Amino acid sequence: MTTTAVLHSEWIKIRSVRASWGSLLSVLIAALAITLLAFPLIGQAEADNPDYDAIFSAFYAINFAQIAAICFGATAFSSEYAHGALRVSLAAVPNRALFYGAKTAVIGAAALLLGMITSFVTFLVGQAFMGEYAIGLGDEGALSACVGAGIYLALMALFASGLTALLRSGVAVLSLLIPFILIVGFVIGDMSAGVAEYLPDRAGQVILHSDPTGSLGPWTGLGVTALWAAGSVGAGWWAVRRRDA
Amino acid sequence: MTSIEVAALTKEYGSTRAVDGITFTVAPGRVTGFLGPNGAGKSTTMRLVLGLDRPTSGTATIGGRTYASLTDPLRQVGALLDAQNAHASRTGRNHLRALAVSNGLAPGRVDEVLEETGLTSAAKRRIKTYSLGMRQRLGIAAALLGDPPVIMLDEPSNGLDPEGIIWIRELLRRLAREGRTVLVSSHLMNETASFADHLVVLGRGRLLADTPMRAFLDAHSHARVRVRSAEQTRLRQALIQQGYVAEFDEDGKLTVEDAKAEDIGALAAREGVPILELADETASLEQAYLALTAQDAEFAAAPSRP
Repeated sequence: MTTTAVLHSEWIKIRSVRASWGSLLSVLIAALAITLLAFPLIGQAEADNPDYDAIFSAFYAINFAQIAAICFGATAFSSEYAHGALRVSLAAVPNRALFYGAKTAVIGAAALLLGMITSFVTFLVGQAFMGEYAIGLGDEGALSACVGAGIYLALMALFASGLTALLRSGVAVLSLLIPFILIVGFVIGDMSAGVAEYLPDRAGQVILHSDPTGSLGPWTGLGVTALWAAGSVGAGWWAVRRRDA
Repeated sequence: MTSIEVAALTKEYGSTRAVDGITFTVAPGRVTGFLGPNGAGKSTTMRLVLGLDRPTSGTATIGGRTYASLTDPLRQVGALLDAQNAHASRTGRNHLRALAVSNGLAPGRVDEVLEETGLTSAAKRRIKTYSLGMRQRLGIAAALLGDPPVIMLDEPSNGLDPEGIIWIRELLRRLAREGRTVLVSSHLMNETASFADHLVVLGRGRLLADTPMRAFLDAHSHARVRVRSAEQTRLRQALIQQGYVAEFDEDGKLTVEDAKAEDIGALAAREGVPILELADETASLEQAYLALTAQDAEFAAAPSRP
């Protein structure tokens, strides 16, 4: 049994379940749709505010794309827990490390690819409507924010997939993470002091700010999100390795 | 050829002992029926053989190797545990493709097993649109995918229509004729009797029998004769005088326990009673099975209900 064969098999599994394939595409679709709705209407209206952050505003739609990325990570793994499909999967690939590693790799790679496309498309399409306020990839922080947003989306997908493996339920993970992201993002808002800074979404989004104020830098922030994702993937592995299928 | 070897296998879930120190071998070239009431440990044993659950103690191996150590296991063992174990949003074909690809099987095998199980026309439909019988066929298709020498099916005739039941019976017989090792669990006795050569019987996680079907029937049943004559009452009197136990059944025939047709025929001739029908009753697997489980004291105290 080769790793390539198992990776290919996991890719077929993602492609062939509408919920996971659809939510993967939704990462781009959601970001693009929000950008096309928001930027022609209100893009330039906010640009005169004194605390306007040109880069963070450019990635406004990433808030919505990350929900799609979380859905993708959760559904791509939860498809194994629907109808006991995991038993058939583990009968075909009894090496659980290979099974889990391949699935996680495919989820991460697919989310990273779509995340990168999404961040660049979001940025470039949004800026096309910004007229005199438009910034380009050459402006300070813009390119690293594009790359960072792509990585951030992939990390959020992995964070969700690991939790799904641990909790064995996509619904549980979605009803935990989505309100969590919405509350942290919109209720706590710009309150960036203390523990909240180290939450996976807050930390990872530091790279989207042109002038980060907290204690975390752009890449260390993304590093903190990567630790969250690694912790979640590790906990998922512990569950998959240990539990009876 | 490859056998399934189960040795001192025990599995506990919390304080419940689902499988309790069982040892048996499933040999190639014959169909082994795996019997026992619901909850006897048949499915658990199969999951342990596949390495899906870990045994509390003991081992389960295939050709001397644990399932997890097999390279491309689908080429070695084909298993159907539960027809529902497939993501309902996938098409039948994609379900099989993902399995085939992981074990490096030729893509053509997917279409071959779809054809063999009669699912070609439904291959591109989502599994959620399948009937239970079609899901069983898909599960059997997955088991056959790697053309494995060992086949293990849990209740494969569940939900199949009469044609499907005949099909699975002939399939199992053919797989055994080809020299494969075939283990098939069932709680339907007549169904099992129609395809099994050998029996492994579990009760409450323990091994109750591991014998050829014929020997099982002989050991757990006794001779019995059914007879219909022109003068049933007089014949019954004569039989009772000779010390036989003879009772009327619902059809008005006499059932004579512990008797052979030749003795009853001779007795009727001596009495001058015209015989209309006379036959040794072949023991059914169901009777033999119930006789076996009745010997098990706790079983008799708490018979399992369907």
